[in-house]
Amino acid sequence: MDFKVLRGTLKKELLTKYRAYPMDFFIGNVLTGFYTILGAYMMYKLLFERNMNSSFANLTGTSDYLSYVLVGSLTYLFLVRTCLNVSRSLITELREGTLESLMLAPFRRVEYFLGNMLVQTLTTTMEVMISVLVAIPFGISFQYIHIGSFLLAIVVALYSFFGISMVLGCVMLFTRDTYISQNTLFAFVFLVCGITFPSEYLPAWLRTIADFIPITGVVTLIRNSVLLGKGISEQSTIWINTLLISTVYVLIGFILMQKCEEVALEKIHS
Amino acid sequence: MRSFVKTFAAEIVKQHKNYFYSKTIYISLFLWPLFSFITTYYSFQVFDLSKSKVPYITAENVVVYLLLGYMCMSLFRCLVQSAWRFSFERFHGTLELIFLSPSNRAAVLLGNAVASLFESVIITVVFTVFMLVLKSEALFFKLLPAVIVFLLVIGMAVVWGMFLNSLFLFSRDTNFLFTVLEEPMEIFSGVKVPIILFPLWAKMIAAIFPLTYAIEAVRRVMLYGSSLYEIRIYLLIGILIMIALLIAIMIILVIVEKHIRVTGNITLF
Amino acid sequence: MIIAEHLAKNFQVKVGKGIFREKKSIEAVKDISLQIEKGKIVGLLGINGAGKTTTIKMLTTLLAPSAGTYFMDDMDAVKYPMEIKKRINMIAGGERMIYWRLTAYENLWYYGQIYNVPNSILKQRIEELLALVGLEGKQNIPVETFSKGMKQRLQIARGLINDPEYLFLDEPTIGLDAVVSKELRSHIKFLAQEKNKGILLTSHYMREIEELCDYIYILNDGCLIKQGTARELAADTFNRRNYILKLYEQSDDILARLDHNLRQYDPTTEVSGDGDCISINSSENISLELSRLCTQEGLFIREMYEKEPELEDTIIKLSKEVSA
Repeated sequence: MDFKVLRGTLKKELLTKYRAYPMDFFIGNVLTGFYTILGAYMMYKLLFERNMNSSFANLTGTSDYLSYVLVGSLTYLFLVRTCLNVSRSLITELREGTLESLMLAPFRRVEYFLGNMLVQTLTTTMEVMISVLVAIPFGISFQYIHIGSFLLAIVVALYSFFGISMVLGCVMLFTRDTYISQNTLFAFVFLVCGITFPSEYLPAWLRTIADFIPITGVVTLIRNSVLLGKGISEQSTIWINTLLISTVYVLIGFILMQKCEEVALEKIHS
Repeated sequence: MRSFVKTFAAEIVKQHKNYFYSKTIYISLFLWPLFSFITTYYSFQVFDLSKSKVPYITAENVVVYLLLGYMCMSLFRCLVQSAWRFSFERFHGTLELIFLSPSNRAAVLLGNAVASLFESVIITVVFTVFMLVLKSEALFFKLLPAVIVFLLVIGMAVVWGMFLNSLFLFSRDTNFLFTVLEEPMEIFSGVKVPIILFPLWAKMIAAIFPLTYAIEAVRRVMLYGSSLYEIRIYLLIGILIMIALLIAIMIILVIVEKHIRVTGNITLF
Repeated sequence: MIIAEHLAKNFQVKVGKGIFREKKSIEAVKDISLQIEKGKIVGLLGINGAGKTTTIKMLTTLLAPSAGTYFMDDMDAVKYPMEIKKRINMIAGGERMIYWRLTAYENLWYYGQIYNVPNSILKQRIEELLALVGLEGKQNIPVETFSKGMKQRLQIARGLINDPEYLFLDEPTIGLDAVVSKELRSHIKFLAQEKNKGILLTSHYMREIEELCDYIYILNDGCLIKQGTARELAADTFNRRNYILKLYEQSDDILARLDHNLRQYDPTTEVSGDGDCISINSSENISLELSRLCTQEGLFIREMYEKEPELEDTIIKLSKEVSA
């Protein structure tokens, strides 16, 4: 591993972030978290007066609907912010005209993307923590949290986000579009990966698709460790499955990225 | 008057060509609302639908109930988006040229709003067909009130879009205004949870959004089969809102033009 | 005729970050008076930040002046901006200000509509304008695929869509190649001379201003520091004469002897070597003395001439004087 590239990318990204941190973007994200919780709260408290469908508790192992939605939404927020930065890094360089000078340097992509990812993780962690504070008045409880399992889940989550970001980055670089591709992906993930309701409610074919997106596993792992206090060994199959699928994404991402870079560079001159 | 009509028509043609240039716009128009709707539909399955506090939300017609809400919201959203897209004209320098010309500013805003009506109407048609196929038995409506209420919703959406558009002329930071307005509109205007159940503070927020009245009127006509007389209060409020917003738009346009001429912040320099 | 007198523009800007932002007033333009006659081209010169763009925005009614008066053919332009807008247009260099996704024809049609050009003449005018800027045949292609020069030419066509009486050109040739900017310059001349339009032009290129403008205003730091025709300005600023002398043979010794001898006629004379030529600067006409001296010294002259002062030197000199 070339730590120089990693350090260089880290520093550059931190500097640009620090110098031009879009405050309204941050507020927008915190508000999004707040609105999601508020929306869920209104359905739960006002419309159905806490009357859950019995299948919910059977499927999820908890009857704490609000915490369920909160954990799902925050995981989703984490994914969105990571993808927004990592996937868009190369296409941003393309748009700002720095891609060519970057490609001139003989560096490996892994470190470049990892640098991006680390910076993003730092800022997103801050944002998510603030969102958690916002959610506390709604009666969110973390009394059963299994810390070890939770930390491992976060590592797995970052790994899978990284994989998805790489694949999405390829799509963006190839189509030269960020708006449509990212938002379509996000809307789809929000629908199938069990963010606000158990994916078991979905028709079988959609559930199969969901199984091939690592976010489904990640959300389950985080929920199990935070809300149900499940340990690491209790959910070994989900761990292994999620890691395997994520690895597939990472591999596909890196192989495609090389091709897409070439295509993107050619397109500059067309 | 002639120049008003010409500017208005030219604006429609321009915006339409400008935004439907790429076919991917249909993804954002149809696919995203559809995903969002399906997500909400399944979110309702989490609850015991037989215990809802509102009589017309049952396991049978929750789909139609939600579809009506989403249909109205999509109409409004199209116009909010068109206002947001218009704010890019500032960055491209074309807004400055519009202000350089002697064109009627309100005609430009109206043209821009009506341009996205086309998409909005398609969305409504798609939603309606969807609804009829899924659950025609849950619908009890009379044709005349349905048509009138539909026109009212469209009118309100257009004026709302124009209003936001005029606000966007003030500032470069439209993204912020957009996030502040877009999501609360979805939560507080009763798309998912009827406003009757809201606590007072939330009702007060709901009262700000024209969409609130639009959704309520549409649901009453389509689910209860209310007559025009029975929803007269909503028709009245709708028309009053439209008049109030139009007056506000006229005032804002005069202030904006003055403001821009003093501060010069119409473009980036 | 456009008559602007004592125009000034202050901007309120917020300084600092966060809630406690101070309001500060910046004087972008302090005091500018100028006139534009129909059929004439007027130049506006100045280094960056001199207030050129602000002045143009005030003259095009996009900005309201903080002080001063502005009349266009006896109509108060500050009071009736809408009437003024009908009779003017502005062309700025660069690729912005047109809709990239629309075709050239659609762009011109749109602007024609918002200027309320009667439909009966709009079609013909668009075709004429496209021919004028050499875009005929390209009219149905989206602007996106145009080259920089083509986009800029479309800008010019757009600026003429309402057949304006007065035209404001803000750096119209910026970034254009030599051939295209030459064509453009002849268009601008044509518009003033043949179409009797009053034109105000800003540019970074002195040659352009020198070639085109009947009258020139020079701005510095929001104030008018000089005005006149190109010749007047240059001559006025340079009351000293510059001579260039090229010899078949040149050495420090020759330079020293020339310097010594010429100072006897004019003590302020400066002689300096510049590559293979000698440059002589004097307050007097010393051409006769110079040639006589060369004959006396037995120096063979390859070339000798008096150098005309150039506008570029004028600007540089003037802004140095002002800042000194």
